[in-house]
Amino acid sequence: MTTSTEAISISALSKSFGSAKALDGLDLTVAAGEVHGFLGPNGSGKTTTIRVLLGLLRPDAGQVRMLGGDPWRDAVALHRRLAYVPGDVTLWPGITGGEVIDLLGRMRGGLDRRRRDELLERFDLDPRKKARTYSKGNRQKVALVAGLASDAELLLLDEPTSGLDPLMESVFQQCIQEAKLQGRTVLLSSHILAEVEALCDRVSIVRLGRTVESGTLAELRHLTRTSISVETAEPLRGLETLPGVHDMVVEDRHARFDVDTAQLDAVLRLLVPLGVRSLTSTPPTLEELFLRHYGAGPAAGEQVAS
Amino acid sequence: MTGTWGLLRFMLRRERIGLPWWLLGATLLVLVQSTQSQNLYDSPEALERLRRTVGGNTAVIAMSGPTRLLDSIGGEVVFEIFAFVAIVVALMAMFLVGRHTRAEEETGRAELIRSARVGRQAPLAAALALAGLASLAVGILVFAAAAGTGLPVGGSILFGAATATVGLTFAGLTAVASQVFENTRAAYGSVGLVLGAAYVLRAAGDVGSGALSWFSPIGWGQRTFPYAGDRWWPLLLPLVSSVLLVTAAVALSRRRDFGAGLVPSRPGRARATRWLRDAYGLAWRLQRGNLAGWVVALGLLGVAYGAIADTIEQYIRDNPEIAEFLPGGAADVVDAYLALTFGMAALIAAAYGVAAVLRVRGEETSGRAEQVLATGTSRLTWLGGQLSVALAGSALGLLAFGLGEGAAYGATVSDAGQVPRLVGVAFAYLPAVWLIIAVVVLSLGWAPRPSAVLGWVAVGYCAVVTLFGDSFDLPGWARRGSPFAHTPQVPLVDPALTPLLVITALAAVALAAGYAGLRRRDVGY
Ligand SMILES: Nc1ncnc2c1ncn2[C@@H]1O[C@H](COP(=O)(O)OP(=O)(O)O)[C@@H](O)[C@H]1O
Ligand SMILES: [Mg+2]
Repeated sequence: MTTSTEAISISALSKSFGSAKALDGLDLTVAAGEVHGFLGPNGSGKTTTIRVLLGLLRPDAGQVRMLGGDPWRDAVALHRRLAYVPGDVTLWPGITGGEVIDLLGRMRGGLDRRRRDELLERFDLDPRKKARTYSKGNRQKVALVAGLASDAELLLLDEPTSGLDPLMESVFQQCIQEAKLQGRTVLLSSHILAEVEALCDRVSIVRLGRTVESGTLAELRHLTRTSISVETAEPLRGLETLPGVHDMVVEDRHARFDVDTAQLDAVLRLLVPLGVRSLTSTPPTLEELFLRHYGAGPAAGEQVAS
Repeated sequence: MTGTWGLLRFMLRRERIGLPWWLLGATLLVLVQSTQSQNLYDSPEALERLRRTVGGNTAVIAMSGPTRLLDSIGGEVVFEIFAFVAIVVALMAMFLVGRHTRAEEETGRAELIRSARVGRQAPLAAALALAGLASLAVGILVFAAAAGTGLPVGGSILFGAATATVGLTFAGLTAVASQVFENTRAAYGSVGLVLGAAYVLRAAGDVGSGALSWFSPIGWGQRTFPYAGDRWWPLLLPLVSSVLLVTAAVALSRRRDFGAGLVPSRPGRARATRWLRDAYGLAWRLQRGNLAGWVVALGLLGVAYGAIADTIEQYIRDNPEIAEFLPGGAADVVDAYLALTFGMAALIAAAYGVAAVLRVRGEETSGRAEQVLATGTSRLTWLGGQLSVALAGSALGLLAFGLGEGAAYGATVSDAGQVPRLVGVAFAYLPAVWLIIAVVVLSLGWAPRPSAVLGWVAVGYCAVVTLFGDSFDLPGWARRGSPFAHTPQVPLVDPALTPLLVITALAAVALAAGYAGLRRRDVGY
């Protein structure tokens, strides 16, 4: 185990392919032992970041440290301590899934046989089939079993569930929970928000090769709005004048509105004296968080980043 | 059948790069053979001498065809080249049908197409139409090449038609194999086996009574005797067989599920053997089938060349014109001949080596390299895996060639000493082969994108220098780039150590420089 509490620390990372800028000053910090969600739309630079971490790509600028080493210089030594699952798994057509799992495990320095067999069972994967006959989902399972059966302290997962059905998705989530209990660090790139919400301690959101948001889910929620539906004994008055209240619909004693999560306290103080009969509050989903950055056009992202 | 026409157009577009090469290859074979034969046997007397020499030489008949073809110069061309053109056309038809039927189902792409408004039989129908059109095109081109080089028009039409019908037969065969087998390789393997059997059966038939040749699609074509009797009726055999085969394929396809074959593929290993533990084990595992095929093929080629080495001397005495093509002239005829065959074998070994080492690039662009390099595998080990197969495989191929040639030649002259002698000769050609592989590695390190083109251009250039350097009278500077031009033509001349050491050293430098480049660059694009 690394002595540092940061499993990954990236600052101001840039990488271009010819004239195309894939990463443009990206920052990312992953603490040891946490499950970190790495979110962003297609083409935002998630895969490129992971390839830099794997020492496959050489950064143009910026600092990158992983498990206390330099991913480019110390690649081989670091790789023995991590497992990688790509988003689009291609395998050797004439080799069976079981053989691939063993091969990748041995190349990494050994794998736990019992765990391997148990994972094969849980993911319902037939290891005797030649890779050319596997569907996308099954190829993904091969890479997942190979990665999870290792005792790597760091898991780099690049959209690892893109081909899985919902049943397997839940098996995957259990496996990540277990990995977390074992104290492993996980960097999970994804665009499946439910998965990230279920698994991650902290998330970083990237866009156009740059980090636009980073923090715990609670912190990020704080930046967004909570939806409130309330019924009071007294007629509702004065709410619309409060800062941070939006999209208010009032019908006498009944109101529906959104409130900036930071202003929630002030709103409740105003409501309580009116005699609250019923109240439902819906916390913002990651989806809304996400849409706020990507749905609202370029301006929204820049605003938060500054 | 709905959608067949649209699919056919789509297939033609996908084949627009590959198909022309097949057509060109078949055409060139006929073009070159026809020109060369008409130059060599330009008089009835020359042809008569050839008939006498070949008539007593079983090996030549086994390699080529029935001697009745030697009645005319056009027939001589068919005698020498038909079997090879037939093999090219058969392989073309096999890949066209296989790629667009079984391979499409295996990769799952066909599922997409079927979900569109396309009938169940449409992909098979379109693929067969594609192979049919391609065969027709080959037929027309063969006719044009033969008639264009001055051979009689009537015989040329028959020559073209006979070639085209070979394509039809093998298209039908592949259509059946694609229904029977679940994976493309097994389908190709079974068709390849039939093709090999077709060649062997006609060889046995042509050497013997001729009866066995009638079981061979290649034999059917040869026994139309273009320019030597022009017999059309044997073409009924391939035509009837293709109709029967296509009918069978359609019937079989109705009896199977999508994606499945009539013979399910065997399950493989659940666990890796202990050999599959690192990049070396992986590379050898991936390439072993291919490697074995090449080594056996080169060994057999050695046997074929070795078997006729003894009669060469006799042959040359009868045809002094041929001596011009041999580096040592009429003197030392057998050794000159052996040196020439080693030159060819070395080119084939170099082509194998280039294909083997280019797997490095294939692994990279497919994304598989990324998974291997994300483990404890260093870039040196990753490169070393495939490179070791290329270097050792090309060496094994050359040694197998020397062994085969030595054994066959030794048997005909009752001299077991030829085996170690010719195996030893093989080593002289190895440094040049390795240098070509090393140049590809250099490119993989510093300019990966053009590495495939560069590798094949290098092999092609060396082939032109070796095969045509003398007949085209290439100037010295134009030949100097080929390492084979600096390789002593053993066993005709004694092996000189200096050029061999220099070539080896150059190869080592290129390998080291290539690795240095690979260490510095991004992987995976
Ligand atoms: N090898 C490459 N060559 C050129 N452009 C690339 C290459 N790899 C990635 N890119 C570009 O870099 C950007 C980031 O891509 P990527 O990291 O794959 O995004 P993500 O994984 O978030 O979808 C994209 O615009 C992509 O087109
Ligand atoms: Mg990606």
